[in-house]
Parts: sequence; structure tokens; C-alpha cells
Amino acid sequence: MEESTRSDFSARLLCLGNDILADDAMGLRVAEVLRGRLPASVDVVSSMESGLRLLDHLVGVPRVIVIDAVQTGSAPPGTIFVLREGDISYSPGPSGHYMGLFETLALGKKLDMPVAHDVLIIAVEAEDCRTLGGAMTPAVERAIPEVARRIMEMVG
Amino acid sequence: MSDNKNRAVQETLAKGAAKADASYMSRRITIDPITRLEGHGKIDIFLNDQGDVDRAYFQVPELRGFEKFAVGRLAEDMPQITSRICGVCPTAHHMAGTKTLDDLYKVEPTETAKKIREMIYNIFMVEDHAIHFYFLGGPDFVVGPTAPAAERNVLGVIGKVGVDTGKQVIAMRRRLREIISTLGGKVVHPVFGLPGGVARRVKPEEQKHFQEVAKEAVEFGKFTMKILEDIVLKNKDYVDLILSDAFTHKTYYMGLMDKNNHPNFYDGDVRVVTPEGKEYARFPIQKYLEHIGEHVEPWSYVKFCFLKKVGWHGFKEGADSGVFCVAPLARLNAADGMATPLANELYQKYVATLGKPVHHTLANHWARVIELVFAAERFQQLANDPELTSDNIRRLPTETPKEGVGVVEAPRGTLIHHYKTDDRGVITMANLIVATQNNSARTAMSVEKAAKGLISKGVVSDGILNEVEMAFRAYDPCHGCATHSLPGSMPLIVRVRDLEGNTTATLRRDSDGRIHKE
Repeated sequence: MEESTRSDFSARLLCLGNDILADDAMGLRVAEVLRGRLPASVDVVSSMESGLRLLDHLVGVPRVIVIDAVQTGSAPPGTIFVLREGDISYSPGPSGHYMGLFETLALGKKLDMPVAHDVLIIAVEAEDCRTLGGAMTPAVERAIPEVARRIMEMVG
Repeated sequence: MSDNKNRAVQETLAKGAAKADASYMSRRITIDPITRLEGHGKIDIFLNDQGDVDRAYFQVPELRGFEKFAVGRLAEDMPQITSRICGVCPTAHHMAGTKTLDDLYKVEPTETAKKIREMIYNIFMVEDHAIHFYFLGGPDFVVGPTAPAAERNVLGVIGKVGVDTGKQVIAMRRRLREIISTLGGKVVHPVFGLPGGVARRVKPEEQKHFQEVAKEAVEFGKFTMKILEDIVLKNKDYVDLILSDAFTHKTYYMGLMDKNNHPNFYDGDVRVVTPEGKEYARFPIQKYLEHIGEHVEPWSYVKFCFLKKVGWHGFKEGADSGVFCVAPLARLNAADGMATPLANELYQKYVATLGKPVHHTLANHWARVIELVFAAERFQQLANDPELTSDNIRRLPTETPKEGVGVVEAPRGTLIHHYKTDDRGVITMANLIVATQNNSARTAMSVEKAAKGLISKGVVSDGILNEVEMAFRAYDPCHGCATHSLPGSMPLIVRVRDLEGNTTATLRRDSDGRIHKE
């Protein structure tokens, strides 16, 4: 995880994942592909954190693009979802252990923190996020260049 | 009996068992979050022929392949690897791994190294307990279990405690994390632990800052205790809920204790007390296999820890059952007091109010705040220690490695690492017992108790999601590691199946927080 200390970025890519957990490495791999290829005003952050621990990465920048693997079970592995806050109805019910991204954003707003006002999620349907040391499945691996291309289009 | 006859009998028995299994599976209700995004907890409820609850189980999915992944790697990489498994409590895995390396290489860390490690660990405990109390457990307690669903979330908590308090929590957390970053490198993947010591000393000019933050942390602990008293303990409804039979189990309790039987999160002997509160066992972690067994149920990949010498006698409470409990409630039950003055004062009040041992699962939230105060006071003691800034931070290992076991108290309970290596230090066997697993049998019992009160003759009450969730949330179980935070639109669903396996009813909690029945 890199600390997000600069405050003059125009956008931040928040790439989530776990590099030793098969398809869950997707977001971190996208970060590797894009690092050095984006304008200096775009901050690229890789993180294995979740929930409230992401709050630090959601402040001090107007725009955040979150990249993560997702398991909805509703689409074939490798499917790319592009979602905005309004597209997703998140659960306000208490979760067992974690807070969701938008709950974290809502908390930041409630506490008058300078949270990003534009948050976009690029999620890729994963097949396996449980096998330690497992390789990425081909369908998810194939989605990486396309995810990178879309991000370049948005902020490149 | 001839071999043929014997085989025929075996086949008949096997067929019967398969039929019984199939019938059992058809009477299963599953509560399963649809996505991994809000946690992976899964609940299976099995009904009997009358449609009443026979058994209910709470499961957390385990990551696959840990042992295979670990074997062949260098043991000295394990503190980093295991901390990468979990995005929630990497510091606990890092510390348990580091201590296992001490034992593997038979090297005693220097006094300064131990103090630096313990200080970092207590800083982590303050932060984690605060997050749990205010943001994760808060919806149940600070907002209240009977509040409208739309308020039972983190915003509802802020509404109740006030924006300024929320700001204080976030600011405190940031200050604590900054110290962990300074000393340990990355917060998510700490890199400070080495066999026999730590990687970086505390500079004299840093110590003053640590002392200031520690003072703030102690004040923050007092302030949190006051919030608990004002909002929770003065509310009779909440206290009644804590004391209610639905959330009560009489089991054994386990925790890591110092020589005075005061809880210590970083080091000590494991102490176990009986459901009556008497010492049952006290042992160094290297003997854990003599004391802790892992029971396997055919329907589940989750292993249920139990006290080996008492034995596994099912999901039962009482002194004859080996089921035990870890985490704040258990640690305070296994203790004779607290090692720091303010925490001890709070502990005495807690015991005077609830008795001892405390069997009420929901008292975990109260115990957690007492522990938060202790962690802050211990942080302060260590920050003030003149030896903290010594440059004697590592003793180099010289022994040939073979086998090591290490332990810490994670926020969620006793966490054990165990590695065996060849003489080059390459892993040949690795075993982890995580806190959630130590608590798994009792958590399952709590879920079952909640389910039994809500399901009768195949009819499932709408309140089941809430009640069942409350039953396991007090244990703060870790829902699989590396879970991220994208929101799931439908985090919990219950399906009721009849004897033929047909779905007869579906309950789901929608994005508005309301329960819908189909």
C-alpha cells in the first residue's frame, strides 16, 4: 500500500486485490500495467485493504476510480462492470465485519471530510478468489488489457 | 462372520448412511451472502421432520491451499506471507509469525525489541477495538437492536454519538496508524518483525511524539468508556438484552495471560478456565496440540476447536463439553484482573455488575472497551519506557531451525502459528489456528439458539436475519480474508426447503434494509 499524501492529484486509481489469491490479483495487476503510463496528475494506489481502511484513499482528490475483482455469480468470469454510486443499491444493514465502500464514503461525507465526489467502480467478474497461490483464470487475465484501455480513455 | 457377509453388512450400512445424508441435506436452510463483498458468512439451518430446527451452523469460508502454498517457502517469509492473507488484521498475523520464528530459531528477542513489538501491537489493538466498537458493533449497541433498519448502520451510529465524536475516532485512528507506519513500514504488510528482534529502532526524537499520542489514546479510552456507559449501560433495554438467555452460553474460556493472570495481547501462557471460572489449564503455546483439538463435521470444511482433554461431545455447553470461547469476553473471564490501573478499575466494575465468569456473549462489546483502555495504558507504559530507544534491537539467531510455535491474542482471540522446517529453514509443514476457528463451535451454538427461537414447524420468522446476525457479530468473526469492499446489493438471503429439497420460501434483505418474503 502506498500512502496517499499529495493533495494536488486530479484523480486516483484505487486498485484493490490480493496478489496471492488467484483472480483477486486482478486490480493490482491493472495498477502494474498503468503505472508510469498515466498523466502525473493521476495517483495510482494499490491496496489490499477493505472497508473503513479505504477511507484514507477516498479523501483529498475529486475523483476516484476503484478497480476490483467481484463475484456476483450473475455473469461469466471476465465480464467487466462499470458502475457508479447511483447504479448500485448498497446495503445499509450492518455487515458482520466490514463496511462497504459507499458506507465508508457516506461516513466521510457525514464527518465533513474532503471525500471524492466522483466515484466510479470498474469490477471484473472473478472465478476463483479463494485459492492461495493460485494463478489467475484465463478469462480474468484476458480482461486486464481492456480494463487498462478503458481507464486510459477516462484519465489518460 | 464371513468376509462376504461382512461386506454385505457394510454396504447396507453405507447405503443407509447415504440415504440419511441425502434426506438431511434436503432439509437444509442456507443463509448465504450472495457476494463476497459484504463478508462471506454463511449459515446452514437443518430442520427435523417436524420442520423445527435440528441444528444450525455458522460457517466462514476458508481460503484453500494454505499449507501447499507455504510448503517450500522460507520460514522467514512467513510473517509477510501470512499478513498478506488477511486485509483486516495483518499486524496480528505478522506478530504471530515473527514470534513463531523466534521459537523456530530458539532465539530470545532483546528486551528493547520485545518492548517495541508489544507497543506496536497494543497500538494496533486500540485501533482495531475502536473500529469495532464504533463502526461495526455500533449498529447493534449504540444505535440499538430495535432501531429501524435504515438507521442500523454506521451513519446511525454517528447520528447517535455525534459528528464530533466520529471525527475524534477517525483522527485517533490516523494518529495510531502513523506510528505503525513509522516503525513497521507498510500498515497493511508490516515488515518490522525479525527472528530475535525488530528491523528498526525507535529514535529518541520519536519517543516524545509516541508519548503524546499514547496520552491521547488513554483519554480516548476513557471517553469511549463514558460513551458505553451513557448510551449502553444506562439503557435498561440494552442491559436486558445482554443478560438475556438467548445470548448466553456456559463454556470454557481461553486467553493469553501474564504471570499475574492478567491478559497480555503480545505474550504469556495460555490460560483456560472452566464454566465456573476455575483454572482448568495453563500452558506455554508449544503444548497447544496437547490441549486444543480440531473437530471435523462431515458437512463442513470448518474445523471446530475444542479442549482435547475434556473431549468433543457435540455443540454443548457445560464443564463436560470441550467447547471453549476466545476474544474479549473470554480473555476477561480467564483473567484475575487487568495489569493497568484504569482498565483494572473498569474490570472490577464489570465483574461486580455481571458476575464472573460472564457467560453473556453480547458482553463482548463491554469487555472490548475495557481492553481498549488496557491497550492504550500499556502503549503509554511502553512509550514512557527509557529502554525503548536503545539500539539493542536484535539478537541474531544461531540455532538450526526445526519447529516453532507462536501465539498472540488477536482482537478476535487467540491466534496460533506453527511451522516445521528442514535445516535450511524451508517450510515442510505449516498450520494456523485463527481466532474465528477457536470460537467456531460456540458461535455455531449461538446461531442455533437464535434460529431455534425463530423457526417453528417450517415457518421462518422475518426477524431471523437480524437476530442470527447479532448472535454471531458479537464474536466479530473474520469472514475470510482479503475481502474487499464493493457493495453487494443483496447481502443476505434465506431459503427454506421442504423434505424434497423444493424451495418453499425465500427471505431476502434488500437495499433498503427491509426484509422481503417471497
